[in-house]
Amino acid sequence: MHESFARDLARILTDYSSPVKPGERVTIAGNIETAGPLLEALVEAVLARGGFPNVQAAAMISPDYTPYYELFLREASDEQLDHLDSTIMHWVNESDALFFVKAPANTKALSSVDPARVARYRRTIQPFGETYLSRYAERTLRWTVCAWPTQALAQTAEMSLLDYRDFLYAAYGLDQPDPVAYWEGFREMQDRLVEWLKGKSHVEVRGPGIDLSFEYDGRPWINCDGQLNFPDGEIFTSPVEDSVNGTVAFNYPSVYQGYEVEGVRLRFENGRAVEASAAKNEALLLSQLDVDEGGRTLGEFAIGTNKGVTRYTRNTLLDEKIGGTIHMALGRSYAESHGKNQSAIHWDMVHGMQDGGEIWVEGELFYRAGGFMVK
Amino acid sequence: MIENFAPKLARVLTEYSVPIQRGDLVMINAPIEALPLIEALYEAVLARGGHPVSVPALPSLRDILVRNATDEQLDFLNPLAMTMMEKADVLYSILAPSNTMSGAQVPPERSARLQKAQRPVMETYFKRSFEGSLRWNICAWPTQAAAQQAEMGLLAYSEFIYRACALDQPDPVAHWQAVAERQDRLIAWLAGKERVEVRGPGVDLAFRLDGGRTWINCRGDKNFPDGEIFTCPLEDSVNGTVAFSYPTISGGREVRGISLTFENGRVVRASAEHGEDYLLSQLDLDDGARTLGEFAIGTNKGIQRFTGETLFDEKIGGTIHMALGQSIEEAGGTNKSQIHWDIVHSMRNGGEIWVDGDLFYQNGDFVMEA
Repeated sequence: MHESFARDLARILTDYSSPVKPGERVTIAGNIETAGPLLEALVEAVLARGGFPNVQAAAMISPDYTPYYELFLREASDEQLDHLDSTIMHWVNESDALFFVKAPANTKALSSVDPARVARYRRTIQPFGETYLSRYAERTLRWTVCAWPTQALAQTAEMSLLDYRDFLYAAYGLDQPDPVAYWEGFREMQDRLVEWLKGKSHVEVRGPGIDLSFEYDGRPWINCDGQLNFPDGEIFTSPVEDSVNGTVAFNYPSVYQGYEVEGVRLRFENGRAVEASAAKNEALLLSQLDVDEGGRTLGEFAIGTNKGVTRYTRNTLLDEKIGGTIHMALGRSYAESHGKNQSAIHWDMVHGMQDGGEIWVEGELFYRAGGFMVK
Repeated sequence: MIENFAPKLARVLTEYSVPIQRGDLVMINAPIEALPLIEALYEAVLARGGHPVSVPALPSLRDILVRNATDEQLDFLNPLAMTMMEKADVLYSILAPSNTMSGAQVPPERSARLQKAQRPVMETYFKRSFEGSLRWNICAWPTQAAAQQAEMGLLAYSEFIYRACALDQPDPVAHWQAVAERQDRLIAWLAGKERVEVRGPGVDLAFRLDGGRTWINCRGDKNFPDGEIFTCPLEDSVNGTVAFSYPTISGGREVRGISLTFENGRVVRASAEHGEDYLLSQLDLDDGARTLGEFAIGTNKGIQRFTGETLFDEKIGGTIHMALGQSIEEAGGTNKSQIHWDIVHSMRNGGEIWVDGDLFYQNGDFVMEA
């Protein structure tokens, strides 16, 4: 058992991921019933660094952060669903840093709620998401999403809570002698990879289940080093929208809106997924691809680099970081990597490269079987 | 939102399911997640003059044991558990999981070892239950883990259990008494009849019931909620095929799309769309695993959806279920096996049951009642 999981994690979050400075207003959002130890440790760490902690222990922004989400969505009138709580907007506008602690009590909490009501309330709170993203883009706000082990996450991963705790502990690098130094080294390693990729364009991905090529034409690769997501570990770019050609048969399942889609196969022609099939939940896949014009375009190509994430757990935050995998997202691309694709979806799908998968960049072998071949 | 329904449920359990008598030693076997129902049962047993005893289980302790124990420690039999099983007059077991998958990564030989060590407790349970000196009931209390498995929120799942237990009826005890009487009438009609044919989408099966087989009325005494009648087919008489419409979750593993072909009582072909390896390994576990140990009709119309919890799924009104393996002595069955694996099939879309040439059941309803 771990003596100081929450404290050690709070220290990395406030020291490395989002370094808290004296006088900063720091909002910590998380479900008091399931994330109590980490919320407490974050309050302590923020206080120690001279910040002003503000705990939102049941914020009505997602079922991950409140025990009352199902109750609210079931019982609220349309008028109540359309009401945006001004206190949420207050702290998203006034904070210097946000920590989102994901600790769901039930990963299927919304499966039994009318989807139209879920969608209606999501529209209501859209200003919340837009505000923190735009304040982040203006560099007036930092935000970090992390996870705290719960029975629900463990059950979803088909693990006991004890095994799941060990799994997350290693994913966070807390088993390293000096976790902050470990993550600083991690950041530098990914900086070198991103630097090497700079200014290049032609990528070929080959191996079991995959034969794909695309251009990124000088678009940047982004170093995901634990500032926004924690745990972290990936580098990604946005392929030129019409340049993607080839096929991929994803060897990991993917979870979308709580449903598991298995055995996804895609064939791209000039940037569009012209053929798509799945062994399980194919109808969901096809309906999402056709949700809008951008649903069949690749919005992201990424390489997962976290060797502490050793297994698939049906949680995209972690699955896409598995060291030795790549992932691709259909739909919306990211502005920071100069992507131009617009869509309502951004669906990450993970493919294992451990069995001899290769990535060639401008004719040079960049990556093989889960390891990087360049310095 | 529904109120705390534990007191209402406890009343049915102590008054109808297992009527508590003055002086009964009543063991409440439950994990701490069932706290509201443990408290309510404790109070109800006291009110009826019984002696309630409960040592609520902490599920994490089992996880620690399975991870850390030496073989010698896995083989250890808790003498307190044995004493309780020998002495109790009544045993209430409450299903209230904190994680339905906590055993999924446990090496099978370790869980088997743990199970084996507990065998004397289980044998005492079966022996005393058969003799009638131990009365018992298995019920459920809603938890997030069970709700998540059913793909529901906790509130929706609580309402589901509330209705399944008929606690939404004006007088639940009267409701369950009526269930018992109705099922008695069905069984009276079935008594002495011999040949059963089951037909419809996904099923074409025949078996015989001669040789002292009886139908048993599951009226809420041993399971709660309840609602089924079952029998044990003559072991070598089962012929035909069934492609089960519902999945099963057994030992933390989901198996779905199960198809079975029976020839003279044995499964001669078996396949599954998902989890086929596990299905086949269970069928080959011992000599009796390929024999049908039970045939049953679920009658609880308060249960209309699949949840992955067998206690509920096998009672869904409009379904039948069949169990591979161990049969039930009470109904005259003689098959022996380590497994008793219930698998559920919907009959609502045109399923029929014919008994000695008469149409007994159609589309989920008993034709004989019309």
